[in-house]
Amino acid sequence: MSIVIETENLSRTYKTYDKPEGLWESVRGFWARKYTEKVALAPTTLKIESGQIIGLVGANGAGKTTLLKMLSGLIHPSTGSARVLGFEPWKRDNRYLRRMSILLGQKNQLWWDISPIDSFSLLMEIYDLNREDAKKRVAMLAEMLECTHVLHTQLRRLSLGERMKMEIIGSLLHSPDVLFLDEPTIGLDIIAQTTIRKFLGDYVRDKGPTVILTSHYMDDIAKLADRLLLISKGSIVYDGTVNAFITNAKSALKISFGLSNPLENSMPLTLDAILDKGQQEFSVKVMAEELAPALSKITSLPGVLDLKIEEADFEDIIRAFLEKESRVLSTRSPHES
Amino acid sequence: MHFLRRNLAFFRLAVLTNLEYRVNFFTDAILQPFCTSLIELTLWFAVFASATSTTIGGFTREYYLAYALWTAFVARIATSWMYEFKMIEEIDSGSINGLLVRPMSFFEYYLSQLLGYKFITTVISLLIPLAMITFFQLPTIYSRIPLALLLITYYLVLVHTIGFIVSSMAFHLNRIYSLTGTKNLALWLVSGELVPVDLLPEPYKTWVLDLPFCNGVYIPVAYITGRVGTNMVWHGFMTTTVGLAVFSIIAVFMWRWGLRKYVGTGA
Amino acid sequence: MSLTGLQKYLRLYSSFFKASFIADMEYRVNFLTRIFGDVFWYLAQIVMFEVLYLHTDKIGTWNVHQTRVFLGLLFVVDAIYMVIFSDNLDRLTERVRKGEMDLLLTKPVDSQFMLSCQRVNTALLGNLTIASSWLIYSLFKLPHLEPLKLLWLIVLIPTGVISLYSIRFMFGATAIIFTRSENLQFMWYQVYKLGMRPDHIYFPWLKFLLLTLFPVAIVASVPARAVLDPTNYWLFAWSIAWTAVILWLSHRFWNFCLKYYSSASS
Repeated sequence: MSIVIETENLSRTYKTYDKPEGLWESVRGFWARKYTEKVALAPTTLKIESGQIIGLVGANGAGKTTLLKMLSGLIHPSTGSARVLGFEPWKRDNRYLRRMSILLGQKNQLWWDISPIDSFSLLMEIYDLNREDAKKRVAMLAEMLECTHVLHTQLRRLSLGERMKMEIIGSLLHSPDVLFLDEPTIGLDIIAQTTIRKFLGDYVRDKGPTVILTSHYMDDIAKLADRLLLISKGSIVYDGTVNAFITNAKSALKISFGLSNPLENSMPLTLDAILDKGQQEFSVKVMAEELAPALSKITSLPGVLDLKIEEADFEDIIRAFLEKESRVLSTRSPHES
Repeated sequence: MHFLRRNLAFFRLAVLTNLEYRVNFFTDAILQPFCTSLIELTLWFAVFASATSTTIGGFTREYYLAYALWTAFVARIATSWMYEFKMIEEIDSGSINGLLVRPMSFFEYYLSQLLGYKFITTVISLLIPLAMITFFQLPTIYSRIPLALLLITYYLVLVHTIGFIVSSMAFHLNRIYSLTGTKNLALWLVSGELVPVDLLPEPYKTWVLDLPFCNGVYIPVAYITGRVGTNMVWHGFMTTTVGLAVFSIIAVFMWRWGLRKYVGTGA
Repeated sequence: MSLTGLQKYLRLYSSFFKASFIADMEYRVNFLTRIFGDVFWYLAQIVMFEVLYLHTDKIGTWNVHQTRVFLGLLFVVDAIYMVIFSDNLDRLTERVRKGEMDLLLTKPVDSQFMLSCQRVNTALLGNLTIASSWLIYSLFKLPHLEPLKLLWLIVLIPTGVISLYSIRFMFGATAIIFTRSENLQFMWYQVYKLGMRPDHIYFPWLKFLLLTLFPVAIVASVPARAVLDPTNYWLFAWSIAWTAVILWLSHRFWNFCLKYYSSASS
């Protein structure tokens, strides 16, 4: 398996200045500006093999898009190096650009006023594709995505889901070896999401491009990604498989129950959870190791009804993990690696 | 009383909002007309430099320099585009719903804002030609300025009415912003901004003077610089009134038609 | 650039043209208003000079017939520029602000070309026809026309378009560095307005500036002089050479701006 994407201490910092408020401050700000450095991505070293699907997960502003934009050549790094398919992305060598594709979920690359087919025609010229082959490819992709019937309708008349499907076809038209997908299913209804997810899974299995996928929908990651990268405040805090993550993460459980009479006094259940006085229905999250003591406390209450224990879903696990990591990271200075 | 108080509030709103966008205001009200006037001044210098006599159309160079200087600034005041765009956008985007459910009219809401904006523009931007005219001692009859400003203000109501008609087309058509630009270009031809209307040959001169569109620039500026007398100003008030009558009828009709369509389709 | 490279860009451009035309056909009202708008603008320029010439024989060094030719050339160069470049360059600052440049930058095509040429304003081809008609009419009515001089236009009209493009592009590209650059765009238009008058009406130092730092005189004044005045080889050579230089400068400046480009966060 060859290494397709590798980075070494790749980082990016921004210098922003605090915009002062008020008239006098603005005047002072004219010649004395306070600059702060914001670390968008801390020095990151990665190796990604060909054919893998990498799920990149993190809160907004964590650095996912920065990483993607550096790997696609849109921004220069502050320090470090990266090579994708043997090229330095920000050199924007045409030979590299022909083999990669980036899909930015909230932005259109296709023309708004014309039909997708006309836009694809343009793309065929840009990427120097053989027209006949490309047309067959469009037909095949449209069929897989179940959107053949709207290929000839102007883009602005399509629904969000149909537009996204067309954008996906547009980004795959030139059979890229590397695919960067930034939130491809954002804002779509559940049917469109499922169709696109299934399509991506099938497509990658068939054609084998290397994919980096960011998403806020954990289902996208859980179902598609071979490898999970969790990013928080610019640093990669987890790099491994999805399954290993779920198994190793201290998983949370949800206990829900009711009482026949309202609780007389507030009672602490675990370090984090308190049962409030006067309530009758409860739904509490506990960590796996706190389960036994919590249960014994609950069962000691009078009139316990409908006791249920559920596993937290992947989304909750990730959220808990990221919250914990962000607490850890904020105590570190941004200049440490 | 409600009417006056309400519209004074809109007036004030426009003044404050525009003062906040200082850079834009500065560019629009000061920088742009300043540059335009400089360019026009070079043209007049060149015209007189190669002319065989010291007068053109009966006036010396100083009169034209004064004309060009005043015109650049007055023209900005007498043209409407910003609030017209706002009206079009309001209808285009559907946010007009917020206005339709209130006890006030779309027309007066924007008219008051327009007048507020033009008021503050006038107060600030006219200081520049005033200063330059005084410094270079170019022909200007200062006592005539108030009456000229009155005519311009009255003319603005007509301008707003036309803009209102244009924006009501947004009920039927998409993306009509270019219509504003085109209409302004057409008005530019007959406003006197290019050349003083008195230089036009007959019968064009009479035609243009009988239309209300030269009351924003030519008549006020010609009056201030002493090219025409007070009788022309009264003529201007009259043609503006006629124009208002005509365009108001069209405006009411267009608005009702558009609103019927809008409400009917619930678009 | 190799021949295949050139062929590719030409083919790509014809795709842009086709797509733009399809898109333009969608908005019929816009189509018409833009044509009318420009017609009014042409009329304004013509009327102004015609009226002035009723009262004087010469403005600068030219009479009414010569100035008409100047206007004709101005209209033609402007129309060509409007068709090919205006939509793209006018939207540059907006696109930078909205972070829409990313998708252009990831294509294996020169980004300056993509940015400058993607949208062809096919509606204004009508204006090009009107402008050309006026030019031909004014040349026809010129009392002493030396037909051989018209050959200069084959080179000088494209030169005018390219220098107009290069200056405009550089003004627009600053949006990458100064995100709020509406005022620079406004300054651009003032500079362009200076080029819309025959350059000999300006003071010598301004005339010099308009042939060098902001060479808008190359847009219409120089082609007009080629037809109307005695041949000035040095001027023409300078115009052509300088246009090539500023085109190259625009490319260098663009690469410089790109390095600073940090796209708006998604």
